[in-house]
Amino acid sequence: MELKIKGLTKDFKDFRAVDHVSCSMGQGVYGLLGVNGAGKTTLMRMICTLLKPTEGSVTWNGKDIFKMDASYRKVLGYLPQDFGFYPDFTVQDYMMYISSIKGLRPMTAKKRTETLLDQVGLRKMKKRKMRNLSGGMQRRVGIAQAMLNDPQILILDEPTAGLDPNERIRFRNLISELAEDRLVLLSTHIVSDVEFIANDILLMKDGKFFMNGTAEEIVSSMDQAVWSCTVPRKEADRYLSKYLVSNVKTVPGGAELRILAKRSPAEGAVMEEATLEDAFLLYFGEKAGEEHDGEV
Amino acid sequence: MHFYSILERKRVRNMMVKYELKRIFTKRMNRLLLAVAVLIGVVMSVFAVTSEWYVDSDGVNHETPDAIRRLTQDKKQWKGELTGDVIAQIVADRQKIARDYPDDVPDTVYGERIQAYSDITQMVDSILGGDEGYAPDALLGITTDQAKDIYSIREQYIEQLIQKYGDTPEKQEFLRTQYEKTDTPFYYEPADSWDNMRLYATTYGIILVVLIGFLAAGIFSDEFSLRADAVFFSCRYSRTRAVRSKVLTGLLMATVIYWVGMALLSGISFAVMGVSGFNTPYQVDSPYCIYNMTFGQLYLIILVCGYIASLLSASVAMLVSAKTHSANIAVCIPFILFCVSPFIGRAMPFGTFFQLTPDQLLNILNCARDPYIYQIGSMVFRQIPFVMLFYTLVAAVFLPVIYQCYRRYGLKRR
Ligand SMILES: Nc1ncnc2c1ncn2[C@@H]1O[C@H](COP(=O)(O)OP(=O)(O)O)[C@@H](O)[C@H]1O
Ligand SMILES: [Mg+2]
Repeated sequence: MELKIKGLTKDFKDFRAVDHVSCSMGQGVYGLLGVNGAGKTTLMRMICTLLKPTEGSVTWNGKDIFKMDASYRKVLGYLPQDFGFYPDFTVQDYMMYISSIKGLRPMTAKKRTETLLDQVGLRKMKKRKMRNLSGGMQRRVGIAQAMLNDPQILILDEPTAGLDPNERIRFRNLISELAEDRLVLLSTHIVSDVEFIANDILLMKDGKFFMNGTAEEIVSSMDQAVWSCTVPRKEADRYLSKYLVSNVKTVPGGAELRILAKRSPAEGAVMEEATLEDAFLLYFGEKAGEEHDGEV
Repeated sequence: MHFYSILERKRVRNMMVKYELKRIFTKRMNRLLLAVAVLIGVVMSVFAVTSEWYVDSDGVNHETPDAIRRLTQDKKQWKGELTGDVIAQIVADRQKIARDYPDDVPDTVYGERIQAYSDITQMVDSILGGDEGYAPDALLGITTDQAKDIYSIREQYIEQLIQKYGDTPEKQEFLRTQYEKTDTPFYYEPADSWDNMRLYATTYGIILVVLIGFLAAGIFSDEFSLRADAVFFSCRYSRTRAVRSKVLTGLLMATVIYWVGMALLSGISFAVMGVSGFNTPYQVDSPYCIYNMTFGQLYLIILVCGYIASLLSASVAMLVSAKTHSANIAVCIPFILFCVSPFIGRAMPFGTFFQLTPDQLLNILNCARDPYIYQIGSMVFRQIPFVMLFYTLVAAVFLPVIYQCYRRYGLKRR
């Protein structure tokens, strides 16, 4: 089980969305982490044969996925970021329709649909029209359809986007449950989504992978320490412009700041254990969720 | 093993088509339109069966749904071969009435005598009109001998028509052959229901064809308008068998909607009006028609041409939507092809050429009257068979193009 990406590049006219990305993935959960516009969706669409790369290749067990065509998609499941469906179909009809495109036999399709709707907790909703489901339920149908063909490769593009905190947690648990014996590639711009369930984290920025490894490896690669200190409220702004601040909390007598810095930023600052959240801030700087949010 | 896998493939294909059809028929908009189409079909049937009136021998006018059956019953007294003697008898009677009532014929006389043979007097007037068409009351001016010889008069006019429309020897030969195939004297049986239904089937056909184009446009554009393309194209057969199933679905949908619609319209109408006159030659209505067919056959040809138009509409709409990834233009195309092009055609200088546009498929009731013939090399052909064959082929040729267009989605390198 090996999905190998080599020098993968995608140009849209004169804009390079993915820039010579390489990596090799086997069984396990991979977290693709990057701000909006980093190129995650474009990369995933190429891995799903929806987009032809401008350069480079993707191979599955040594064979080019575009040459394999249908036989590659046979082992692929994909939940796109923008999960569109047919609003007038019932959940069951939708699942059966997708099953047919996936080439499942009618009997198998029925059984798989039952099992999966159970698993995502939508058994009672199967006669409901897709348009009448809540956003969270629609996403759960989305993940269920990706699983219909029991794929070896499961690609989930921002599966938790737009969910409320409770649903987010449910979803993470569901994903870990489904991840067994598969290659799961999951993209997100939210650190907590992948912090605990991904074995490997790929950091993507401006179309490139610039770091990968386990959460610990990424955290320990930071060349700055994390400090916690309380400063008078008046001075908080000065710190915010001078340092990378990952958290601000109002406390009696001032503001408690969580600061990334090589050396102690203030008298009495206490060194804290760094988290992936801090690493994300360090590596993506102020970009996180600001500049590119509106574009996508 | 091989046999088994063919069976499996079939099962999967059937499932694809089933859900693809289900998708069309569960869409809210489509359901609404289908309901409207059914309603129009019923309303048109009602119009069709109430469009005839019958005057009884007391001169009382009836416009109830049974009027057409009573009318047919009345006309049946003239059923049989319209020999020279029969024609002469009718012409003499009609001339006598004209002499007796020079100003206005009383309703009682109309109900008792004229109504029963009105088809035949119309036929005689049409024969006497020659290429000019129906000449009202022309029969009042002919002698009994001329009436007896009505078919010779027709032949003289045919000779003129052959000279007029046959501008090459091949065309003349062709026309002569067609005319010789028509048996005289004509056989007569009242065909009012068929006569009536030509117009309704044509009109309803146009409605169904535009509807079919609309529904077909969704088959290849819904994925894009609903942003369901990513899921679809990441599925195993999205670029192969599923595309073929979509094409098949389009054709099936067109077939089902068209024939169910027509069965509804024809079923209601003929059940009420009866089917008398299926075997009456169409020449009774249009004596110089170059097609040798009966009223019933003409009706079937109108239906089949409407079906070809439906397939063409579906295939063009699928092609355009597969190409543009949107239904917007695709839904307009059948409308332009079948509803707008006649108006453009009429404004153009090449009249005869524009008799081959696709809208003619939905204009068979007029085509049947006109001697449009064409020649390529030494081959001469008529308008109706040509449009039937040509547009069936066009619809078929589009199918592999649709397949190729759709399956290549996203495969450009830039
Ligand atoms: N079809 C496209 N045409 C032009 N530019 C595109 C297209 N798809 C994506 N992009 C651009 O490529 C960049 C990466 O987008 P995307 O892959 O969606 O990023 P992410 O999923 O990480 O937010 C963005 O700047 C986006 O505007
Ligand atoms: Mg994205």
